[in-house]
Amino acid sequence: MSTEISQAEIDAIYPQVAEIVADALGCDEDEVKPDSSLINDLDAESIDFLDIVFRLEQEFKVKIPRGKAMEEARGELSEEEFEQGGVVTDAGLAKIKTYLPEVPAERISDPLKSAEIPKLFTTETFCKMVVREQKG
Amino acid sequence: MSDHFRAFSFVDRILSDKQGKAIVGQYRVPDSVREFPVALVAESIGQCAAMSSMAAVNFKYRPVAGIASVVEFCGDAFPGDILKLEATLTRADEEAVAYSGVASVDDKPVAKLLNCLGPMVLMEDFDNPAAVKQRYQLLVESGAPPDAFGGVESVNFESVEKGDGEREGQFTVPHEAAFFGDHFPRRPVFPGTLLMDLKLKFVADLIANLDGGPWAVVGMQDVKLRSFMPPGEVLELFGKVDKIDGEQASILVQSRKGKRRNSSARVMLAKKSL
Repeated sequence: MSTEISQAEIDAIYPQVAEIVADALGCDEDEVKPDSSLINDLDAESIDFLDIVFRLEQEFKVKIPRGKAMEEARGELSEEEFEQGGVVTDAGLAKIKTYLPEVPAERISDPLKSAEIPKLFTTETFCKMVVREQKG
Repeated sequence: MSDHFRAFSFVDRILSDKQGKAIVGQYRVPDSVREFPVALVAESIGQCAAMSSMAAVNFKYRPVAGIASVVEFCGDAFPGDILKLEATLTRADEEAVAYSGVASVDDKPVAKLLNCLGPMVLMEDFDNPAAVKQRYQLLVESGAPPDAFGGVESVNFESVEKGDGEREGQFTVPHEAAFFGDHFPRRPVFPGTLLMDLKLKFVADLIANLDGGPWAVVGMQDVKLRSFMPPGEVLELFGKVDKIDGEQASILVQSRKGKRRNSSARVMLAKKSL
């Protein structure tokens, strides 16, 4: 899935996405990097994710379905194959690493709680969400 | 008498509701209150939209304050006024509600909320779903008895001028207040619109001393509440002049808990015509 999106496509929209992230989080644009974890590096809360997705939808005229990121991270794995007791399985971890190649490997802890997956999302992750929806 | 649906409820009639799409309601400001600040008018619009959104999800979820892109202050509401509340919803599902709305008195707008977004939370964590559903039905059928609201006590805050158009302060969310019985019975939190009212008072001195005035407050933009404020929480306040641009100006005001930003907003100003 993630290999379908080129770096050029990400770079084309990155400045707008970075501006939206900075506006939503009330930080300077130069604090927002492509690999910034929105939660760990930029102090985003759940309302900020809602705000950012809302603004991205308005800016890029796309619809980003709710839960899309998690659904795509899981891929063809069933929920039981992806996580057990709130912890991502080995198969699930492999899927996440494939889905989020922009996330440095050292950030993906093992074991990884499924509730902590949003902490992995970076500015580039949101760029990819937009590009995927633009490509339909 | 219980504070539920009394101490902080500002819709006493639903005139029409296309659940999750568009709602018209009304609220009569009690004669007995000393004042009804514009922040509570904004709360009325939000509560009206909330009613429609909760009905759309069969009262399993309820919205909480999140984001208001634009709040326009168009006029005043006085004791005895009947607010006509209208909201158009572009989204109402188990994750969020998105809406815009207006409150009018005698067809004249008093306040407008544009492009608001509120996260939905599990109703049962905040209130009794059956009781809220019953309340909705009452508002649709006969309407609620008027004059339930008895006013809200001001929240005190400390404020210090820092120079260069900046101000710092602090306030403590009351440990007890009637509005907690209504907002919300199972999880009391300080209402976002009372924080809005407090922020307007906090920056009043900054506005009065701002070059190029006199200035009038015409609204707020980019209003965002990022976390709940439980009873007793201590929050720092920060205000600073954001921009002065000819006939318009803005002041950025934030509340923080330690390093974490709890809320932010821009207070929008326009030069008063003399």
